[in-house]
Amino acid sequence: MAIELPPRQDAPVPLWTSAVIGDDRVSRESSLLAWPMKADIVSIAALVAAVLVSAPALAVFLLALAPHGAESELAGGLMRDGVIGTLLLMLIGGGGAIACGAAAAWLVTLCRFPGRGVFEWLLVAPLAAPSYVLAYAYSSLTWAGGPIAFPITGFWGAAFVYSLGLYPYVYLAARAAFASQSVCALEAARTLGARPGALIWRVALPLARPGIVAGGALALMEIAADYGAAQHFGVTTMSTAIFRAWYGHGAPHAALQISALLLAAALFFLLIERRARGRRSYAGGSSRWRPLPRYQLRSFPALGAALFCGLLVLLGALLPLAWLARLALLRSADDIASLGQPLLNSLLLAGVGAAVTLVLAALIAVAARRGDRIGRAGVLAAGMGYAAPGAVIALGALSLFALARQAHWIGGFGGAVALATLFWTYAARFSAAGAQSIDAGLSRLATGVDASARTLGAGPLRRLIAIDLPIAAPSAAAAALIVFVEILKELPATLILRPFDFDTLAVKAYAYASDERLIQSAAPALAIFLAGLAPILFLSRRLSRARAGAR
Amino acid sequence: MTANACSVSLRGVRRSYDGAPAVEDMNLEAPEGKVLALLGPSGSGKSTILRLIAGLEPVDGGEVRFGEEIVSARGRTLAPEARRVGFVFQDYSLFPHLTAAANVAFGLDRLSRAEREREASRWLDTVGLGRRAASYPHELSGGEQQRVALARALAPRPRAILLDEPFSGLDPVLRAELLEVTMGAIAEARPTAVFVTHVAEEALQVADRLAVLKAGRLLQEASPREAYDHPNSADVAAALGPVNLYNGSVRGGVLDTPFGSLAADLPDGSPAQAVVRLEALSLRPGAAARVRDRRPHGASDLLRIEAGGHIWRAFAPPRTALSQSVDVTFDPAGVFVFPL
Repeated sequence: MAIELPPRQDAPVPLWTSAVIGDDRVSRESSLLAWPMKADIVSIAALVAAVLVSAPALAVFLLALAPHGAESELAGGLMRDGVIGTLLLMLIGGGGAIACGAAAAWLVTLCRFPGRGVFEWLLVAPLAAPSYVLAYAYSSLTWAGGPIAFPITGFWGAAFVYSLGLYPYVYLAARAAFASQSVCALEAARTLGARPGALIWRVALPLARPGIVAGGALALMEIAADYGAAQHFGVTTMSTAIFRAWYGHGAPHAALQISALLLAAALFFLLIERRARGRRSYAGGSSRWRPLPRYQLRSFPALGAALFCGLLVLLGALLPLAWLARLALLRSADDIASLGQPLLNSLLLAGVGAAVTLVLAALIAVAARRGDRIGRAGVLAAGMGYAAPGAVIALGALSLFALARQAHWIGGFGGAVALATLFWTYAARFSAAGAQSIDAGLSRLATGVDASARTLGAGPLRRLIAIDLPIAAPSAAAAALIVFVEILKELPATLILRPFDFDTLAVKAYAYASDERLIQSAAPALAIFLAGLAPILFLSRRLSRARAGAR
Repeated sequence: MTANACSVSLRGVRRSYDGAPAVEDMNLEAPEGKVLALLGPSGSGKSTILRLIAGLEPVDGGEVRFGEEIVSARGRTLAPEARRVGFVFQDYSLFPHLTAAANVAFGLDRLSRAEREREASRWLDTVGLGRRAASYPHELSGGEQQRVALARALAPRPRAILLDEPFSGLDPVLRAELLEVTMGAIAEARPTAVFVTHVAEEALQVADRLAVLKAGRLLQEASPREAYDHPNSADVAAALGPVNLYNGSVRGGVLDTPFGSLAADLPDGSPAQAVVRLEALSLRPGAAARVRDRRPHGASDLLRIEAGGHIWRAFAPPRTALSQSVDVTFDPAGVFVFPL
């Protein structure tokens, strides 16, 4: 499909004559003109997808700018408290996550100590649990009468939970940076006589810095976006301030203004992450895989290394998991049965949400792979949604529906509309994760494959169906799994947009915890934790296969 | 077999990437049903020219014509899928999820299923791969993948076939064999062909017309014989085979070399360069030059001889008694003088 434009005025000869040979196939095709801005059916679908995923975030920005005097004072006060809380949590919790993640990555990639191989993949386990699940687990662990006397509450509790729950972001990025590019430089440094200590500061750390920055930015983004843990520990952050402005003070515009600032901050971190990642990919030296030269640690250093990694895994995953399991088993069968409906609701939301998200993500990824401007814009749009906290996206989508209602385009905000908004929000929030995974699958295609198909006469739709989709199918399945679990874990957007009385596991866990019924919240929290483990194990296996030097 | 080939011509074509010109003011013509070879080092713009012909990239200026039809002009590009060109990519770019037969059948989607299968297997037979029809690309060797790519490009009976260094990943023995298969298959389908290579022997062997390129510009377009015997520059002469270069000044209408004077139609005192093909030096025992080194080089020995501080390379029949010093005579057919 192509758009016909009028012929150029100064055309020297009749352009696009089709009188080449008497073959009507040729003459029909010769009217198919492609223009620099390729407006084929796949591009148009990708454009629609890009608009859909970026609309809620853009709406937040635009609506927040609209003047609204009455609530600005409230917004100002809440915003100040929220900014201070978020910044302090980033400093302490984010700093802890970065230090733990970078140190663990250094140990498992560049040193040899007992258990190193097991820790290499176990260290990602805390990613399975959303921060609020860790928060509920530690609160009940240190509850009066709990097994740990040391109280984990308030600001320091939140910082502790973030450090433990988010260090894997830094660990993964730093490990990749250490493993992929520093081999040659490290060997060179060793032949030049650098001792292990000097090696860390002079070579390994500078080389891994882009990876640490990228992972750190992701961890900070997560801290900014988190609602459940901060709310549970009673810390005013920008995320909790949005809820307080809206539900506590009934001031939606103040909520929008705080959302806009939070979104801007999230985009800033996303920008840092992208830049750091981009630099890392340029810096790669040899593309061939070689075993890393590892330092053999002995006696106390080896014990220390194993202890450090073991503590991270224990505190980040094993202990909370075991404790939640124990609490869940304390409950009666009736209690467990009451989780049936929330479980079904969760599966419904995650299943349909993942399907919607994947369709949009696939369109964007395919269009971007083809070097299409619309597709590349779509990747940016999806990235914006990924950076945005769930509460912000939900607020943006809700505002758009409110505008539509004011314009009498739709009736009330009934159950069906609420569900549709929820799916839209999930798509806006997670299509970047899906697009990234599908793109990874498409990147296996040699650059000439799309061009080959074109010279063989395949139009945009046929290329999508015959080439791109079959090639991307395995990675699209992985993307579906990741998005499914992300939706299962998602709390703030679901909390805002769910239809009345429509409980999911995440909502149940939150509701029980808010009522200080932590024992009841253990079962849904455990279910979410276990569901989260699936993609983590999958991802970890894929990573280790990628490192096996198959190419 | 329907003869639907058409000539492919470039007129004043320009293309640059981020301001850096890749192709400048390019004028080329591949006559209908003939083979045009583009010869040049990497970065000379040959691959870009193929992509412009295929419509995979727009031109910044000038036009590309198929016969009389303008297929590319500034701001207008006929989509590649509507051009009916075949393209054999350097990395073959086979569809990894399709068998060899399905790869070849991909461009035949307008035929009925039975016809499609028959055509695909006929083309696989033509390139000698009939028994690998059910194999997937990763199960094929590099040479086999190249043949599938060739069959795939030829099967839809393109108006023109474009080959981008089709043998670059293969060893020399396989190269020679595949060159034969390729030119045989092309001769059968008789499309216009544009063949890009940086190997002079390949270009001379396949070309009806030969274009020598450097840094995005056309140096010379001629028949292989004419380009070899009458290069219009030292670059063209050197591109088509190994040469000796000797710099000097013209005096009295001649350029003096240690082995005699060469006619040079240039003003007195102007700097000039003698370009002497290796096979244009014939050696016999004498005293004009000292033999520095002698090594077997296929059918002949390759000698490095020194005269007046300058090293010349020359061929000699193997095991002839030329070990100390030699006299040299030039064969005028392989000697060219150009202004510097």
